[in-house]
Amino acid sequence: MMMQPNPAGRPAPVPGEAPLLSVDNLCVSIRVDDRSVNIVDGVSFSIRRGERVALVGESGSGKSVTARALMRLERRMKATGSIVCDGRDILKLSDGEMRRVRGGTIGMVFQDPMSFLDPLRTIGDQIAETLRIRGVSRRDAERKALHILDELKVERAAERLTAYPHEFSGGMRQRVVLAMALIGDPRLLIADEPTTALDVRVQDQVLALLDEISRSRGLSVLFITHDLGIVAGFADRVMVMYAGSVVEDGDVYSTFAAPRHPYTRGLLDAVPRIDRDSDRLASIRGTPPHVFARPQGCPFHPRCDRAFERCVIERPVLRELGGMRVACHRPEPEAAR
Amino acid sequence: MSLAPAIRMRTPRVKISFQGACVSLLIALLVFAALFGPMLAPEAIYRSDILSSLQPPSAAHWLGTDDQGRDVLWRVIVGTRTTLLSAIAIVTAYSLIGVAVATIAASGPRWLDEALMRVTDVGLSLPSMIVALGFAAALGPSLQSAIIAQSITGWPITARILRNVMHQTMEAPFVAGAHVIGVSRWRLMTRHVLPNSLDVLIVKWTSDIGGTVLILSSLSFIGVGAQPPSTEWGAMIAGARGYVSTAWWTVLAPGIALAITSVAFGLLGDMIQAWRDPSLRESR
Repeated sequence: MMMQPNPAGRPAPVPGEAPLLSVDNLCVSIRVDDRSVNIVDGVSFSIRRGERVALVGESGSGKSVTARALMRLERRMKATGSIVCDGRDILKLSDGEMRRVRGGTIGMVFQDPMSFLDPLRTIGDQIAETLRIRGVSRRDAERKALHILDELKVERAAERLTAYPHEFSGGMRQRVVLAMALIGDPRLLIADEPTTALDVRVQDQVLALLDEISRSRGLSVLFITHDLGIVAGFADRVMVMYAGSVVEDGDVYSTFAAPRHPYTRGLLDAVPRIDRDSDRLASIRGTPPHVFARPQGCPFHPRCDRAFERCVIERPVLRELGGMRVACHRPEPEAAR
Repeated sequence: MSLAPAIRMRTPRVKISFQGACVSLLIALLVFAALFGPMLAPEAIYRSDILSSLQPPSAAHWLGTDDQGRDVLWRVIVGTRTTLLSAIAIVTAYSLIGVAVATIAASGPRWLDEALMRVTDVGLSLPSMIVALGFAAALGPSLQSAIIAQSITGWPITARILRNVMHQTMEAPFVAGAHVIGVSRWRLMTRHVLPNSLDVLIVKWTSDIGGTVLILSSLSFIGVGAQPPSTEWGAMIAGARGYVSTAWWTVLAPGIALAITSVAFGLLGDMIQAWRDPSLRESR
């Protein structure tokens, strides 16, 4: 299942339908010594209802910060641009309205389920809390919590509700965290590397669950990962981030078959494959630039094989190119492989 | 899931150690003395009997008698109630003040946090013993004054420690986990951050009882707290200090009671810390 791009089986785009989430020119900056540095530098994208989008990139590319900005979690950073989710601009909401969005319209799960549960409170309490803070009675909230644990295939769910997090295994904790995010019936689930800390078999289980649930609920998912195998198996669309901007955005099938941005190609080539004969692992030369020292022009040009003068001077913008969006002055040819 | 054995992390067992047994025994004795001492004590300890004054320890009076001829051991036992109750009241009162200050500081806006912490700094920079002494003297020398004085001067350390621990706890991922389901800041603080920060306070509450007993007795000893012939230990030492060279037991007995009490509560604090962490508890 892992490396097979899977374009079919999800709702086709309905023409004219407003996307669930549309992010326009999002910049997230942090102030350092009276200077403001853009960690996320003008990101624009949209997610349709029921669509699963994978956001990939190296550490420091700004993918997590982008995701956290959607939930307004970075209190020390300033976000500009617009994030319209379900018809409302996230960046313009009051703190009170934003609280209702968190866990309501947008659910979020994080990388490390071990530490995302309050060690002193029972699982049931924590799953129910999403509803309790919205005025649902204790009994109803607990019934719903039980229901959602069943949906997440937690065995003996009723007993588990009174257990504490330390009594759970990693995969079970990730399910509990998922339950906390899903019980408020969100339209969008942001999953920030939710399976990275899990072993491969548990990873598969959690992904299969996520697949099933997002399908049955028509849930949009923004999946942040650097595991391209997961992208291929799970997502409809992939967005590649580099140095704070999206450099390529296309459906998984076309992007994996023929990446147009040299960086995407580099990432895909760096995935070890047993069906190809090679002595050494391909890698992208150099290292990604530090947030405070991003190069002029195209941020990728110092590491790019295809770079020419223009790349040094002018920063490429994301443009339509054969059904995909690519930010490159000299994209890879359409049939690279 | 059927293939996945639910591997339960091996949790260390909390064993009843020798030290634990000793501490529990001491605390039990102290609590027993505080609860029942005054009921069981012979009437004679409240009257003076000059003829049998300053007798050394004997079979009749295990820790001798004081200058009024009263049994020292019984007076120490009876004094447990005054001393312990007062100390518990004091520590509880200032811990509550500390919790309130810390919670407001940690959940409020930054300027409020700054303001409260500067007030706390002022409180910390003043020697609490001297301030308590001043307050108690101003209120008029009595046990109540000493209690009130310590209650309103003891909170800064608690507030500072708890506020810092709360800030630390706020960085914990589970706080972010609660944040993303829409929990408000106040609820985040009171339901998630505060309970997960209280370990330090429960420990501090317990071990502070020991220290508070000492300060309370010191205030009484100086003369601004409980007054002789009260059975409060500090007052007993104060009353007997003229006889330290001729009748050492009159001073030593309440002194040892003080030492035992403060050590016992200090160790109890450690035990509670080990017990309260659920991952240290044996899973059912």
